[in-house]
Amino acid sequence: MTLPKGFGSGGSGSSSADVEKMIGKRVENMTGIITISYIAAWLATFGGTAAGYFYYPWAYPTNSGHYAFIILTIIESIGYLFCVKVMEEGTKKNSNGIIAGVIAGVAVGTILISLFVGT
Amino acid sequence: MAQMPALIPKEVEIQRLKKIWLIVIAMGSVAASVEVDNFVDGSLHQTSIRDSAFTPAHWWLYTHFVALPLGWGSAAIYDRKVPVLRGPNNSMNTGLKMTILGYLATMFTIGVNEMWHFWFVEEIFAVPNHWMFNMGVVVAFIGALAYVVRVYARLVELGAETPGENPYVAEMYKMALEGKLYSRSIP
Repeated sequence: MTLPKGFGSGGSGSSSADVEKMIGKRVENMTGIITISYIAAWLATFGGTAAGYFYYPWAYPTNSGHYAFIILTIIESIGYLFCVKVMEEGTKKNSNGIIAGVIAGVAVGTILISLFVGT
Repeated sequence: MAQMPALIPKEVEIQRLKKIWLIVIAMGSVAASVEVDNFVDGSLHQTSIRDSAFTPAHWWLYTHFVALPLGWGSAAIYDRKVPVLRGPNNSMNTGLKMTILGYLATMFTIGVNEMWHFWFVEEIFAVPNHWMFNMGVVVAFIGALAYVVRVYARLVELGAETPGENPYVAEMYKMALEGKLYSRSIP
């Protein structure tokens, strides 16, 4: 097989080392960065909705902000679940415990924020 | 569509398609978020007719309409590493092109919208300055559907995904693989 420039050892075709080099970081090993991105998105969502009810309480009642925060948290959680599960399917890696723990933690955090944060 | 020879090893292609899939899922979440904000912004404008550009409902809308073309643009940059996803004359995939153009339209409409509201304060859904928001999103959704099905169908072809059991869905994947899903002449 003809490989891109920089790959292969000259006439001997592709080796498994070449394939690994072309792949780079494998998707099933990206659970950490996906999890960090999900938590960052969730915190940003809290920041955005909180800006609404702290700075514009006349237009954005706290209840509306919490409603938006909960809906967006659900959307983000589904995306997080899809990302990790799709990236790990077909491999022996299994991060169900991490997914369950993170989503449970976010769910508890969402409930606490919705109960105690606001104006 | 002429079947392209495998220019990269199968395992490499599967990994690259899945990295594209990650962007697609993220962009899908952002698009879902925009849909929620349609209701938030709409309900706000039913009470306060026109406020300003700088309200949370507008930040939410506008940041997403900037994030979407940039995010899909990053998909287009990475997309070049998967030969089978090339479009006509080795250009960008047609579905991806439509998605980016659609969301670029919404991004430019942010400016059009603000200019309009500088003079006219009404916030009726059907005013002309809102048309391109809606048309842009529709074009982007059509393109994204074509692109997503193409990526998924290729993953099915490579054996990394299980094809749909519903015969109608299975037929759709088959047509996508043959390049007949949205055009019989444009790959």
